[in-house]
Amino acid sequence: MTERDIMRRLGFALLVSVALAGCVQTRQYADTQFSPPSGDYRLLVMRPDVSVGSVTTGGLVEPRADWTESARSKLLTALRAQQAGRGGNVRILDRRDSLPGVSAETIAELERLHSAVGNSIALHKYMGEDLPTKRRKGLDWTLGNQAIALGQRSGMDYALFLHAEDSFASTGRVALQVLGIAGCLVGFCAPNIGGAGQFAYASLVDLRTGKVVWFNVLQTGSQVAGIKFGDIRTDKGAAEMVERLLGRMKPGREIRRAQRART
Amino acid sequence: MKSVHGLGVALALMTLPACSGVGGGGSGFGISNYTLIRARETSVGNGSLRVTPPREWNRQRGQLFVDIREVEDWTQNGPLLDGISFVTGLKSGDTLVRQTRRDDRQVPKFRSNMTAPEITAMLESLFRVRGGTVDFKTLGLAPRPFLGQAGFQFDYEHLDSDEVWRRGRAVGATVDGRLYLILLDAARAHYFDSTLPDFEAITFSARKVR
Amino acid sequence: MSCGQVSNGLDRRTLLAAGGVLAAAGATGVASARILPSAMVPLIGPGYRPVDADERGMWQQMTRVEEEIAGSNLVVQDPALASYMQGLIAKVGGPAAKDFRIYLVRIPDFNAVMFPTGFAVIFTGLLLRMRNEAQLTGVIAHEAAHFLRKHQIRQYRDTRTKSDVFAVLAMSAGIAGGAAGVNTGDLAQLGQLGTILSLLRYNRVLEAEADAMGVRLLAEAGYDPRAMAETWQQLIAEEKLSAKYRRKRRRRDISLFGTHPTPESRMADLRISAAEVTRPGVFYDARRASYLAAIGKIRPTLLDDQVKLNDPGASQYIVNNLAQDGWNGLLRFHEGEIWRLRNRAGDDVRAAQGYASAVLYPDAPADAWRWHGIMLSKAGRRTEARAALSRYLMMAPNAPDAAFVRQMLVS
Repeated sequence: MTERDIMRRLGFALLVSVALAGCVQTRQYADTQFSPPSGDYRLLVMRPDVSVGSVTTGGLVEPRADWTESARSKLLTALRAQQAGRGGNVRILDRRDSLPGVSAETIAELERLHSAVGNSIALHKYMGEDLPTKRRKGLDWTLGNQAIALGQRSGMDYALFLHAEDSFASTGRVALQVLGIAGCLVGFCAPNIGGAGQFAYASLVDLRTGKVVWFNVLQTGSQVAGIKFGDIRTDKGAAEMVERLLGRMKPGREIRRAQRART
Repeated sequence: MKSVHGLGVALALMTLPACSGVGGGGSGFGISNYTLIRARETSVGNGSLRVTPPREWNRQRGQLFVDIREVEDWTQNGPLLDGISFVTGLKSGDTLVRQTRRDDRQVPKFRSNMTAPEITAMLESLFRVRGGTVDFKTLGLAPRPFLGQAGFQFDYEHLDSDEVWRRGRAVGATVDGRLYLILLDAARAHYFDSTLPDFEAITFSARKVR
Repeated sequence: MSCGQVSNGLDRRTLLAAGGVLAAAGATGVASARILPSAMVPLIGPGYRPVDADERGMWQQMTRVEEEIAGSNLVVQDPALASYMQGLIAKVGGPAAKDFRIYLVRIPDFNAVMFPTGFAVIFTGLLLRMRNEAQLTGVIAHEAAHFLRKHQIRQYRDTRTKSDVFAVLAMSAGIAGGAAGVNTGDLAQLGQLGTILSLLRYNRVLEAEADAMGVRLLAEAGYDPRAMAETWQQLIAEEKLSAKYRRKRRRRDISLFGTHPTPESRMADLRISAAEVTRPGVFYDARRASYLAAIGKIRPTLLDDQVKLNDPGASQYIVNNLAQDGWNGLLRFHEGEIWRLRNRAGDDVRAAQGYASAVLYPDAPADAWRWHGIMLSKAGRRTEARAALSRYLMMAPNAPDAAFVRQMLVS
């Protein structure tokens, strides 16, 4: 495979990680009319992908099955608890065919579309590629009728797409050098990794309208390996990550304006 | 035109500086590559064509070393989801994208004696060579007047290496030996249907000025 | 062969500067320590499952990867073809024959990737380039050997002890894959990921092991063991022709970190190993006929995928190579297509001749008639053009461009 083919296949994922690395931020965007779900709502959590590894000497991320399973179950527990605190009930989709009455292919198509939409939101809202037609509009993206059809068939009100990743330096710590964006030209965009880092995004789709109503990226990078950020293998760490991602869901601009007007 | 999704986006991203970590993230990166197109008649490409969009669109700024003067790209929701491209007066012997003579895989050059099937084959190669397309299906090719000439309408869909199916429509004609073409390409789920009315309005409004 | 389209070693000057074994290999074309096929025994048995913690972790991630690949819409859904390939695995898969899975994905590059949990991904670009069953089975045998000799986990452990840039690549593959919510199993990144995995997993020695074992598995199953060397020979020739067209030399530095033996040295070793496992008096079959029957349905699509990339040298080589088994309408048609897309001075004439010759065969595709008609029309031969276009419409009355062609007939 030539380097050009590699670049072509590189797609978006690699470059997102390059641009976001080195930043410490949580930034959320919401539809202007967005009110965080409360009361009796039904939330479908799309196949969550959580992977945890150990950064060994040399900086290799070694996935550890026990850590991954532990982190996944803790994240989901924290998710359930957090959402239960706001009312509503949560259903977590484990595999594409886990939802009765909905085919695996339907879920697959929605995942693919969301991946393109999620990438677009990240690109145009988080990485400075502003689209002038979307200024002052909060979050202006939709998954369209496919999402509405899923809501109708499954009886769910919201769908949450979640991805989380975390890695930890184990005993031999190494600070890897930054390869930087220059590395992209050779075909490999190496991320700016100093040791261990967390990266996650959450995206909430209102299945009654199909629109993405809330989106949040969480990314932290420790420049020095050995400092543990809220280890998501623990109850506390998992709850912390869920809290960072979802707990501070803010209402949309119109709603906040109305709230201020009332006070 | 810059590659339909992958490469153009990739090149745009390479010009961004790394985040400095000063709070706020997003707009701290630098100038966006998009400018606003208002809902009124405007010149596109090399200026030889004028169109009137029914609502505001985003115009993708030309990228150094990649851009072709005769080609211009617009988008509503971002190039991964939708885009309208304009080809204005492309000369015989020119290509739709910049490429070097030494590239292994190349987009074919336009020639003024090309029939419509040859032009559409050129577009298909553009998607396969530059757009990461792995499967391409022609849905229709029919005569359609464009810019007062006997042109064509080309309907197609394609599967790209990001697993997303996209649909497209192109309307074009060769005028005085040069290619004029307007092309809509968008995700088959939702985005093609939602931008098609704009595309049709823009195509009907198109007029050649020189 | 999960080593990328071209696995060139370091260029000669660097090798000689570094000295040592590598230099010797580069100079003579033969690795100084050829792995003996007889020494290659499987390290795993049927129903293998990992025990060690790190291997279990890798296995678990790979299970997720396989889930994603199996669910991808880039996988070719052709049950007959899938069962044909499963049949081939059964012959050369050794103790793991029943555990193997193969996924054929629609990407027009020459590549195959073996994952440590016992599934392989083969790109359609590779399938196109295989002339017969022996060659295809040789690829499968080579991939099977990576699994049977536990190469992935061995290399993984080996890399862990080195503090080098491969580790960064491993990390970037994992993290970048996760960064936008895309699983590492996403086929959009597979080409790159496959390259990264292959760079990480297989150094020269392990590739040589897979070659040696592959040859042995192939011969034991009754196939011509020279088939594996042929595959490399074909690839080298194709690259040379491709580069020649673009007036450049064949690239020797594709594999960024030069961990693979050069195709030339692999070919040389494979020839020796093939001779070693060949038993005198035994008839080794390339099994061309059964292969052509199995891939007959998909071959026109794969040729199309390749030719439309407009890499005339490579496409021409492939068409000519396949034509060694006999020219037919399909191959003549694609010859015409190659010239039409290349479109240099005089190519319009060549393309016209190509289509004209294609339609003489009974298996000429409908598209050949349409292009034949268009070429005739451009040459001013209107009556003949009309006849050809009418023939096209008769063969494909519901063709997507029928409306346009009808209008051509009228005007």
